[in-house]
Amino acid sequence: MIDYFALLGVERRPAITEEILKGAYFRKSESLQSDPSESGERFAVNAAFRIIANPATRIQHLLTLEFGEPGGGQIGADLGELFGSIVKVLQSADHQLGSLAAQSSPILRALEYQRLEGLRPQLEQVEKELSQRESGLLAELVRLDQRWLENTARTRRPLAQMALDLTFVQKWLSQVRERIIRLEELA
Amino acid sequence: MSEIVGIDLGTTNSLIGVMDSGFPILIADRDGSRLTPSVVYLPENGDPVVGAPADRMRALMPERTLYSVKRLIGRRPGESEKEDFPFAVRSVNGRMLLEIGDQLLKPEEVSSLLLKKLKADAETSLGHSVDRAVISVPAYFNDLQRQATKSAGELAGFTIERIINEPTAAALAYGLDRLRDRSKIAVYDLGGGTFDISILELNEGVFRVLSTNGNTRLGGDDIDRELVRLLKERIIGRYPELRPELDDRLFFARIREIAHAAKLRLSTEDVVQVEIPFLSGNRSFSYALTRMELEAIARPIIRRTRSHCLRSLDDAKLDPVKLDEVILVGGVTRMPIVRQFCAEVFQRLPNITQNPDEAVAAGATIQAGILSGEVQNVVLLDVTPLSLGIETFGGLMNVIIPRNTTIPCKAGEMFTNAVANQTAMQIVVLQGERELAKDNWELGRFNLEFEPVPKGIARVGVQFEIDADGILHVLARDTRAGREKVVELSSAVDVSDEAVEKMIAESLDHAFEDMSERVWAEAVLKSNELVPAVRSALTLVGDQINSEDQRKIDVLVSEVEAALKSHDSQRLKKANAELDEGTQHLATLLIDRAMNEAARRKK
Repeated sequence: MIDYFALLGVERRPAITEEILKGAYFRKSESLQSDPSESGERFAVNAAFRIIANPATRIQHLLTLEFGEPGGGQIGADLGELFGSIVKVLQSADHQLGSLAAQSSPILRALEYQRLEGLRPQLEQVEKELSQRESGLLAELVRLDQRWLENTARTRRPLAQMALDLTFVQKWLSQVRERIIRLEELA
Repeated sequence: MSEIVGIDLGTTNSLIGVMDSGFPILIADRDGSRLTPSVVYLPENGDPVVGAPADRMRALMPERTLYSVKRLIGRRPGESEKEDFPFAVRSVNGRMLLEIGDQLLKPEEVSSLLLKKLKADAETSLGHSVDRAVISVPAYFNDLQRQATKSAGELAGFTIERIINEPTAAALAYGLDRLRDRSKIAVYDLGGGTFDISILELNEGVFRVLSTNGNTRLGGDDIDRELVRLLKERIIGRYPELRPELDDRLFFARIREIAHAAKLRLSTEDVVQVEIPFLSGNRSFSYALTRMELEAIARPIIRRTRSHCLRSLDDAKLDPVKLDEVILVGGVTRMPIVRQFCAEVFQRLPNITQNPDEAVAAGATIQAGILSGEVQNVVLLDVTPLSLGIETFGGLMNVIIPRNTTIPCKAGEMFTNAVANQTAMQIVVLQGERELAKDNWELGRFNLEFEPVPKGIARVGVQFEIDADGILHVLARDTRAGREKVVELSSAVDVSDEAVEKMIAESLDHAFEDMSERVWAEAVLKSNELVPAVRSALTLVGDQINSEDQRKIDVLVSEVEAALKSHDSQRLKKANAELDEGTQHLATLLIDRAMNEAARRKK
C-alpha cells in the first residue's frame, strides 16, 4: 500500500492545512513535469493529493496505514435521525422535479415552476443544516488532531467515527445541492 | 528539437500559433488574416477550398460548403436533436457522415482539411515544416470527441503532443504575465457551437483546474438559428405567398448569412437595417432589427449556461464572491447581454481584457511551449470533465472516476464470475452524470474473459486510466492467470446500429400511431391544458409583451381551437407545437417573474 503522506512529503497526522498540502503537491507536480520519464508517477501524485485533501478519505488512509483498516461501523445516532428527514425532502424534491421535467410545453413548465416555490426554501434549509454539521465535524477534527499527537491508539475510534460521519454528511450535501441546481436547470 | 504549434480548432474560426521569445505569436495566412473560418467547400471537380474563400461559397453552394463540423465530430446518430444544416448529414453504420454529391466524409476528415491549411500557413510563415501540435477542444468534450479530434490532427500529418481544454488554454493566456499571482478565476467560454465554464486556481505559476462544466451543443449557432426563424416570420408577414420558397436550402443559407452579420453588428449598435434585395423576383425585404429583439431571442439560450456555472462553482466549493476574476472568451461574449448575465451570476463585472477570438489559440501555443521546454516554471493541472463508470445490474451507472478528478488518473475495479464456469462477462463503459446507464454516453463495451472456475473464484482486475489528453485507456489483468492486456473498446458501430434500428422501429410505431384514436385523444388533452395555461400566463405577464406578439399568440390559440373542431389529429398536433413555439418567450417571462419573486422574498 502506498503511503500518500510520504509520497507528497507531508506529516502523517489527521489535520493538514490546505496551504501546506498544496505547497507540497505543487512542488511535486513541478518536479515531475520537467522530467518526462517520471510520467507514471503523476498518477500516484494526483491520487495522493485527492485522498489527502479530503478530510474523510485522509483519515481513512491514515487509519489504514497505522492500524491496517479504516475502522468505523455505523453513523452517529443523531445523524441517523437527520438522515430520515433528508430522505423525505429528497424524495419529495425528486417527485416534484420529475413532474416539472415531464412538462413538454414551455408554458406549462413555467406555470409548474411557479407552483414549486416551496421546494427551494426546503432544500436550502436542509443544506444549511448539513453545512453546519460539516463545520462541526471539521472543528472536531482539529481537536482530535491534538489528541492524536498525545495518544494515537485512543484517538483511533473517535477518528474513525468522525470520518464515517463526515463521508455521509458530504454525500448528502452533494445530493441536496444537486437538486437545487436541477431546479435551476429546469427553469 | 523541433517546435510545437498550438491550434484552436473552433466551431466558427480556427487559429494556429507558435512560441517566439517566450510569447505566443499567432500566425497570419497569405491574406494577412489570423482567423481562418472553419469552413470547407468541396467543389464537384477540383481540390477542396478551405477558410475565407470557402466561407464566401456558403450562400452560393450551400450543399457543398461545410461549416460548424465541430458540432458533429465524435458524435453518434440519434444522440440529440437534429441539426439544421443546409448540407446533408447521414447516419451510416452508426456514424454521422457528411454527404456531398457521391462522397461520404467523416467529420474528422473535414476537420483535417482545415488543419492541413493551418499547417501549410504556418510552414509558409516559418519557412520550415511543422509536424507536432497541441490542439484545443471544449473542456466538456467526451472521450469520443477527443479521440476524433486527435485523429483529425493525425490525418493532417501532425503528431498530437497534447489535447488541451479551451478554457484552460484561455487561463494560460491570461495568466502568463501574472506568474507571481495567487488568485481564483472563472473562465466563461461561449463560442459558436460550444459552452464551457472552468474554475481555476492560479498559484505562482501553477494553473490548477478546480472544476469544469459545459454543454457541447450550446453556442452562437443557436442564436443564429433563432434569428433566422424570426426573420422568416417577418418575411412571411410581409409576403405570405413566399412561405413555400423559404424552406429552400439556398434561401436558408442566404438568410443565415444575413442574420449572423446582423447579430455581430448588434453588439455595438442598437438597431440595424436588415436588407435582402431581390428576395424573390422583384420583391425586396428590409427590416429594422433592434438589439432588444435579438436579446429577447438570445436570453433563453444564454440562460441555459446558468446551471452549468452553478454546478461548476459548487464542485469547486466556491462562492462567486470568492473569485478574483471572471474571464470572458469566445466570440459570443461580445454581446452586451452575455456580459450582463455574467455580472449577475458571478456578482462582479467580468474581465474582458482577453481577445475573445484569440485567447484559446494563444493558450494552446503556450502549452506547446511548456511541452517543448521553451516555457519554464508553469505547471498545468487539469481535470476530466465527466464521470467515468460502468453499467451495473439494473441498468445503473457505477462511477469509477468522478468528474473533476485531476488527470492523469487511474482507478481499478475487480470483477468475478457470478456463476460457476462462466467464461465471459460484458462490461459497458459510460461517461456522464446521470444515474441511469442509458442516459449517459456509451464509450464502448468489451468482453472480460474468465477461466472456468467455481462461482466467485475468478478474479479479473480492470484498470481505467485517463491520460493527460483526457482520453481513456482500459487494461485488464487476470490475477489468477497472471495475464494482462490492453482492452479495445468495441467501436461505436455495433452499438449504434442497434440504437438506430430502435429509432427506426420507434418512428414506424409513430407512423401507425398517427392513425389511431389515441393520438387524437392525447392532442386534445394537451390543447385543453395548454390553452388555459397560455391565457393565465397572459394575465400574469401579458403586459410585458408587445401588441404584435400578443396578436400572434391570439392567432395561434385560435388555430388550436379551430383544429379542435376539425378532428384532424395532424393539424391539432401541429397547432399545439406552434403554440408551444410561439409562447416560449412568454414562458421565459414567467420564470423571470418567479425568480424575481423568490429573490425578493429572500431579502
